[in-house]
Amino acid sequence: MPPPNDLSVIGRRQPRLDGAEKCSGRSVFADDVDLPGMLCGKILRSPHAHARILKIDTSKAEALPGVKAVITAAHAKGMMGGRRGAEPVFADDLVTYKGREIAAIAALDERTAEKALQLIEVEYEELPPVLIMRHALQAGAPLVQADKPGNIWSDNIDSYGEPEQAFDTADLVFEEKFSTSVTHNLFAEFHVAVVDFTLPNKLTLWTPTQTGLLMQHALGPAFGLSVSQVQIIHLNTGGAFSGRGGVRPHHYIAALLSRKTQRPVKIFAAGDEEFLVCRALGENDYRMRIAVNKDGTIKAVDMDAHMDGGAFPSEVGYFGWMAGLCNSWVFPLQGNRLRRRVVMTNTRPHFLPHGGMMLTSNAAIMQLCTKIARSLGRDPIDFLRQNAIEAGHHGLSGEVFASCGLKECLDIVRRESGWDQKYGKLPDYHGIGVGIGAMASGAKGAFKHDTSAALVKIGEDGIVTLYTGIPDMGQGTHTTMAMITAEVLGIRADQVRVVAGDTDLTPIDVGAFAQRGTVQTGNAVKNAALDARGQLARNAAAQLGADEDQLVFRGGKIYAAGNPDKCLDFARVVYGTLHSGEGRFTMGRGFYNSPLKIKTTSWSFGAQVAEVRIDPETGVVSVLRVTVAHDVGRVINPLACEGQIDGQVFSAMSQLLYEEVLSDEGMYLNPSRLEYKMPRTYEMPEISHHFVETVDPYGPFGAKEIGEGIVVTTGGAIAAAVFDALGGQYIHKVPMSPWRILRAVRARERSAVA
Amino acid sequence: MLLPDHQYVTTNSLKECLRLLAESREKAMVVGGGTDVIFNMRLKLFQPDVAVSIRKLDELQQVEELTNGGLRIGAGARLADLAEHPAINDRYPAFAESVRAVASTHIRNMATLGGNICLHTRCAYTNNSEEWRKGLNSCFKTEGKICHVIQTSSRCLAINNADTPLALIILGAVLTLQSAGGSREVPIAEFYTNDGMDNTVLRPDELLTHITIPPVSDRTAFLKLAPRQGMDFATVAVAARCDGTGEKVSKVSIVVGSISTNPIILHEPSRIVSEQGLGDEAISAAVDSIRDELGPLTNLFSRASYKRQMANVLVRRVLVALRES
Repeated sequence: MPPPNDLSVIGRRQPRLDGAEKCSGRSVFADDVDLPGMLCGKILRSPHAHARILKIDTSKAEALPGVKAVITAAHAKGMMGGRRGAEPVFADDLVTYKGREIAAIAALDERTAEKALQLIEVEYEELPPVLIMRHALQAGAPLVQADKPGNIWSDNIDSYGEPEQAFDTADLVFEEKFSTSVTHNLFAEFHVAVVDFTLPNKLTLWTPTQTGLLMQHALGPAFGLSVSQVQIIHLNTGGAFSGRGGVRPHHYIAALLSRKTQRPVKIFAAGDEEFLVCRALGENDYRMRIAVNKDGTIKAVDMDAHMDGGAFPSEVGYFGWMAGLCNSWVFPLQGNRLRRRVVMTNTRPHFLPHGGMMLTSNAAIMQLCTKIARSLGRDPIDFLRQNAIEAGHHGLSGEVFASCGLKECLDIVRRESGWDQKYGKLPDYHGIGVGIGAMASGAKGAFKHDTSAALVKIGEDGIVTLYTGIPDMGQGTHTTMAMITAEVLGIRADQVRVVAGDTDLTPIDVGAFAQRGTVQTGNAVKNAALDARGQLARNAAAQLGADEDQLVFRGGKIYAAGNPDKCLDFARVVYGTLHSGEGRFTMGRGFYNSPLKIKTTSWSFGAQVAEVRIDPETGVVSVLRVTVAHDVGRVINPLACEGQIDGQVFSAMSQLLYEEVLSDEGMYLNPSRLEYKMPRTYEMPEISHHFVETVDPYGPFGAKEIGEGIVVTTGGAIAAAVFDALGGQYIHKVPMSPWRILRAVRARERSAVA
Repeated sequence: MLLPDHQYVTTNSLKECLRLLAESREKAMVVGGGTDVIFNMRLKLFQPDVAVSIRKLDELQQVEELTNGGLRIGAGARLADLAEHPAINDRYPAFAESVRAVASTHIRNMATLGGNICLHTRCAYTNNSEEWRKGLNSCFKTEGKICHVIQTSSRCLAINNADTPLALIILGAVLTLQSAGGSREVPIAEFYTNDGMDNTVLRPDELLTHITIPPVSDRTAFLKLAPRQGMDFATVAVAARCDGTGEKVSKVSIVVGSISTNPIILHEPSRIVSEQGLGDEAISAAVDSIRDELGPLTNLFSRASYKRQMANVLVRRVLVALRES
């Protein structure tokens, strides 16, 4: 795809600026940080899911030579961690899940710390745990938290439009139940925190995160510091996939240990410990209903979800809300009803997986849509296209979709996947399915604002340094930001150096979550670059005898529009601006906050077709091909966008077909990369990438998100393809593991005989 | 997870190695490639006083041609080398297949054949770190008296997940076990016990030094089913061999692995196809007969019912593969 004529950097295939550094192992991650005098921290975790702590004796551990501190709940009185501060940092007297923080040690080295852990004596009175959501809801079940009767953490119903009326008047109603399993986001870099809190008014934390700002806001108040007194350094973040949205107990514990010992402390999760520390998907049960008319109009969706939030549910309910709400981002519904009951169990607190709950809810919705299309004698793509929203549509909860290429995406995947030659014509156990999806690019909610800011400094040699707080956890956003800067200033992306990942150095950024990076931070960076350009333009315009607003910055030159032969060298203009009577050093600044009252300005849209083959003897599903078309507004870096597609198709396939934390009586049975099955490159399907550029009015150069729109849509497409391969049979549980598929195959064989 | 305190000794001759094993008795552990042993040491499942490395023993890394057309393979030979070895691929394709089925390229670059044959049994409850195991009572592997897999079991039910022994059993391989006091030859079919805790007849003072494979001109096949391709232990793996051509066969042997504490040699299905040939009906009858011989399966790593169905599928497929070879 050639870039549009008026752009010289954006739209070109730009390799990651830090690619060579990463590939050659020179990138610094938190675990690489080694400070003088640094101690090793270790956390003692509860082996029981539900127990009363009768006694903790740390004296033997404290007496071990090399141990510098041992702390328990007594050292963290009133300190609340977790999202929304609902989770005491240490278990005080009651343990409510296996893996709960009981005590922590700081020692000279890891070996001493490991030994000291064995010396802490804890006396527990074991209590009956409730480990499965179904059990938690039964009458008389043990309570996880005494003030939460029925183990219900929250119960919310949101109703948009007229769902009751739509269901009452619709010709047909389709209803199915679906459920999900416990997962882990399984990023490459495990949880780690290095804290230097040796000065009373300065806490420095090195850790992988999606948001330095939220961590500052959590840790500051906990330690009596203001936001700026907390410095978060997230040099590189080795993957996040929605799993690094904030502080965890080990962050507080490292800080407590550092303050107490007056030395830096590092805590990192050992292999299996990682599965207790992480906050990923819990078990969710959805009942999905769709009201539809015989003419194919989808009128309303009703989602009734029970969601296992574990021992401290935090914001699971919010993400359940998103899982239902997103249906009204693709269908022009008359009504949308979402009920989420968040249930507590004596298990690890749950948060969300890559794609939030939207991936699995979309897998349910797209199976249902395929079923409805078949029932109405309609082609599934036609059926979805009939119901797809268009630009200008007003959503039920106040959304205004300023740009939308959903129908175009459907047309592309129909053509490129060979749908018409395949749908309904494939052999047994070979299926093809279509999914659609949408994703918000950024959202207000964490704060009243959704602000990102940026600084651009231009050295006298013309080298540009960009300061941004957006974390890069592999998605390549720093390269994207360099490209936006370069586009504005008319230079190459590799002439921009990115300084990021240190809240002391960079201006505010809410973070890399809710798919806000390209739109929010991208706009801030663009504004900062424009500010810098304006400062150079004054000088250049005078030299060229042109108006400032007539100037073109392109290819390292500055010239008046229409007269590229009479040009100035960018670097020389920069030099001249400093080495002048004025002596101006060029620094641009900019920020961006959504101008709208509603949470989000723009949504990405996509359609995908997946083709699968099932081995009816083993139940193994092979994903053969995935055809992706996505409306990203504007492709800033095709290479990065394709990479995002490949990664998310992998993730969706992995979540949908493979990933499950197995457990027995609350004990996880597969807490390792070996036994927690994710597919490998061998299992990757053939992927074709197609982009629709609708040039959104809000995004920088018209760009929208490509962070999670793909993974959600792939989930729907693969689920629909499996449904098709099974001759129209639902798979009600994710992951669709071979044994579950095999059960459906047997059911199909039995019904064929009958 | 750090390694427990131990002494690491690199031995420079077989004699030295055997002497060390004799002196240390139960307190020593042999390290070949280390891909299994070192990791289990980190989990504190193995806590030897001495880790005895055999990596410098050249005599254990050779593949020797025997005059009868067979091969004698050193137990320290790397799986990566064996997978590429022309004579092995030429004469024992099913064995070569089983070698390539082990883990990943990276692991095969380190792991040895002896290590795969002596691979410790695995269990989802116990093969985790020491801290993790605190949530459980001790089991047979951790000086306790119960098995978490089936509480009433009187023995450890951990699974033998090794791939190469299946092929070696059907090929009639013989293991050379040496100690300071002498040497003995044990057919690999008799090497394993049904106790997951102590799952081979290898004594603590003995070292598996060589694997001798006799000449085989029969048809053979090896198949492995795992949750993902590569870097995985099998859900079920199977190896089979027969004499004869087309559907007419004799001397059939079938071995199933990864479902129990030891590889299971199937007798009844072998008898059925030996008598009735490899026609579809005979294969179905053979598959139907394996249930009793598999014995009770457990839910370890995958559901027992699924594993049982997959054992059926793989036995069927391996017999079809023999017919078509």
